[in-house]
Amino acid sequence: MLSHQFSTPTAPGRVVVVGAGGFVGSTLVKQLGLAKVPVLGLTRKEVDLLADDGAKRLRGVLRPDDGVVFVSAVAPAKTAGQMMTNLRMAEAACAAFAAVQPAHLLYISSDAVYADNANPVTERSPVAPSTTHGMMHAARELMLRSEYRGPLAFLRPTLIFGAGDPHSGYGPNRFRRQAANGEPITIFGEGEEKRDHVAVEDVARLAVRILLHRSVGVLNAVTGVATSFHDIANIVAAQFSPRAEVKSVPRPGPRPHLLHRFFDITDLHKSFPDFHFEPLADGLARVHQESSVR
Amino acid sequence: MAIARAGTAVGRCDQDRTMSIMALPKIGYAGMTHLGLCSAIGASSKGFDTLGFDTDPALVARIDAGKLPVVEPDLDDLLRDNRVRMSFSADPKALLGCDVVYVAPDVPTDDTGGSDLSGLDGLLALVLANTRPDAVVVVLSQVPPGFTAARQRSGRLLYYQVETLVFGRAVERTTKPERFIVGAPDPSEPLPLAMQQYLEAYGCPILPMRFESAELTKISINCCLVASVTVANTLAELCERIGADWSEIAPALKLDRRIGAYSYLSPGLGLAGGNLERDLATVVRFSEEYGTEASVIRAFIGNSAHRKDWALRTMHEAVLNKVPQATIGVLGLAYKENTHSVKNSPSLALIRYLGPWALKVYDPVVPASAALHPNASGAASALDAAEGVDVLAIMTPWPEFKLLSCDDLAATMRGRTVLDPYRVLNPAAARRAGLDYRTLGVA
Repeated sequence: MLSHQFSTPTAPGRVVVVGAGGFVGSTLVKQLGLAKVPVLGLTRKEVDLLADDGAKRLRGVLRPDDGVVFVSAVAPAKTAGQMMTNLRMAEAACAAFAAVQPAHLLYISSDAVYADNANPVTERSPVAPSTTHGMMHAARELMLRSEYRGPLAFLRPTLIFGAGDPHSGYGPNRFRRQAANGEPITIFGEGEEKRDHVAVEDVARLAVRILLHRSVGVLNAVTGVATSFHDIANIVAAQFSPRAEVKSVPRPGPRPHLLHRFFDITDLHKSFPDFHFEPLADGLARVHQESSVR
Repeated sequence: MAIARAGTAVGRCDQDRTMSIMALPKIGYAGMTHLGLCSAIGASSKGFDTLGFDTDPALVARIDAGKLPVVEPDLDDLLRDNRVRMSFSADPKALLGCDVVYVAPDVPTDDTGGSDLSGLDGLLALVLANTRPDAVVVVLSQVPPGFTAARQRSGRLLYYQVETLVFGRAVERTTKPERFIVGAPDPSEPLPLAMQQYLEAYGCPILPMRFESAELTKISINCCLVASVTVANTLAELCERIGADWSEIAPALKLDRRIGAYSYLSPGLGLAGGNLERDLATVVRFSEEYGTEASVIRAFIGNSAHRKDWALRTMHEAVLNKVPQATIGVLGLAYKENTHSVKNSPSLALIRYLGPWALKVYDPVVPASAALHPNASGAASALDAAEGVDVLAIMTPWPEFKLLSCDDLAATMRGRTVLDPYRVLNPAAARRAGLDYRTLGVA
């Protein structure tokens, strides 16, 4: 659970977003703008954390009164090599944060750090990742804890959807792309697995709140509602005219043993009582509209 | 009466003192807490001259004037009927007249269930310094295993006794205990005569045992209670999801001899009151120290925390995510019915996280100011607290709330949602009245 150093929202002098060119980072920059918080977005063009002088360049930009969001990552980290690349980026960032000690640091992590668990997952559930992607985020969290001594928060989003998603992972983003291309939406088996999906804008709005309250601790960016891929596919299919076909295809591997993953979002209610997520159907409709406009 | 172990009557008291005690020992209670005060009045009701001692003169004066700081059914009457045998004092020297002195202050706990024993130690030292060497001093507060043995001192009679206070049923428990569990330096030795004479007056079994056993007995009792409570809470939640009704299942379990008619099988908002959680925390701490396996105890703690937030989760799901400017009615602030105590109150735990909304609160005993909420206003009655609210939560099952008419609630509220975890209202009547009725253990 989070604890707030500022009980009332208080804008930091400036927020630096390290990784502002990405899906989450760019959305966060927009949300900070809407909240009228001074923001400096750093993309790889300004600071390349994999370059030899990455740490030095970042250190040169940071100020001690900054709130900093570290969201830069090469995603997804599906291989050991990609994981190590991300850890080298974190190593450079940690060196800069240790040297400057900004006033507040928020790391955008992932729910992939948690162990598979049939019980509802909370912020206190065991961190025991089962993928290189989860291991990468867990390792980065530990690195930041070790190197940065100031107020530190981790936001752990679950599966994120949004119009600007650059990936095509299994779920609403891929379903929409398939339908937009005139292809059938394909689900594995009967698509019976239930997962939580969160809009990227909601992730960013939570990050803004954490920055304004200078919150410390861990918060899951999850809605608490698990929906089957079958149902999501049919919501997306109905957005197209004519309605897209939803087609069951054989699974590429065995059916996941964890059919349902639920989250208990009580900590979110306690941390930000008046925050509410956009319902999934509303969010998918909005994304469809935004994508059509693009 | 059943006495677990026979022994000689005299023990370590000298003969002259014994003759005096045979008349009837004088009993003292140090610490006019809920436990100490109720136990002292209970002692007087058994015919013993009883002293109630506390270091707070203002508290003693209020009690002496008949203004009791705790709410318990029949307690005021019990004091009035036995006033002739009860005295109260803030002067520790008054303890010199007592033959048995129970030390019974509150032992506060922190957020993790850990006990702060400094107050108990201070009062115990004061009592030992102001009692006769032959007086029996008994620790009645809840202590972790090892506490009493570590405080033995040469030439003094120091015992431990398991307290069995139940808030809201304190008079019943203190006048009709089912047994006494006594921690003793050597349980094969008879108890001191004064103590034995006092305990025998209750007509229940007396179970002497070594200190550590007695201290762990209290924890063992609570762990068994927790097991029943947690089973009920876990399966009640499943009922809420699959269409079963826990109120139909529980009677079937009560008829099973292996579970029994008196099992705690009512689902609730986790474990309430703090004492059960204190014992779970103690077991976890000892398991860490000695390397014993206690994962089930940790699971009890986790399940309790989860179910405690039922009302908060349900309120968000049912109302708050749809009505941003909702007004919330809360009935009950006390941690349970028939008590003034708000320590570990589920109601206050809920209110703590309702900061952005306007609240209307009502409790028959606890003032609205106890809510510590910037936008809470006190209501004159339960129905008044429901007027114009979008959601009503009945967080303490006070008997008077059972008298509420569901039709009146439906006509008074702005919204339809009623959270009633303890089934104070009749679920069928609530639904007939058009309320969106939510309770534990049923979908």
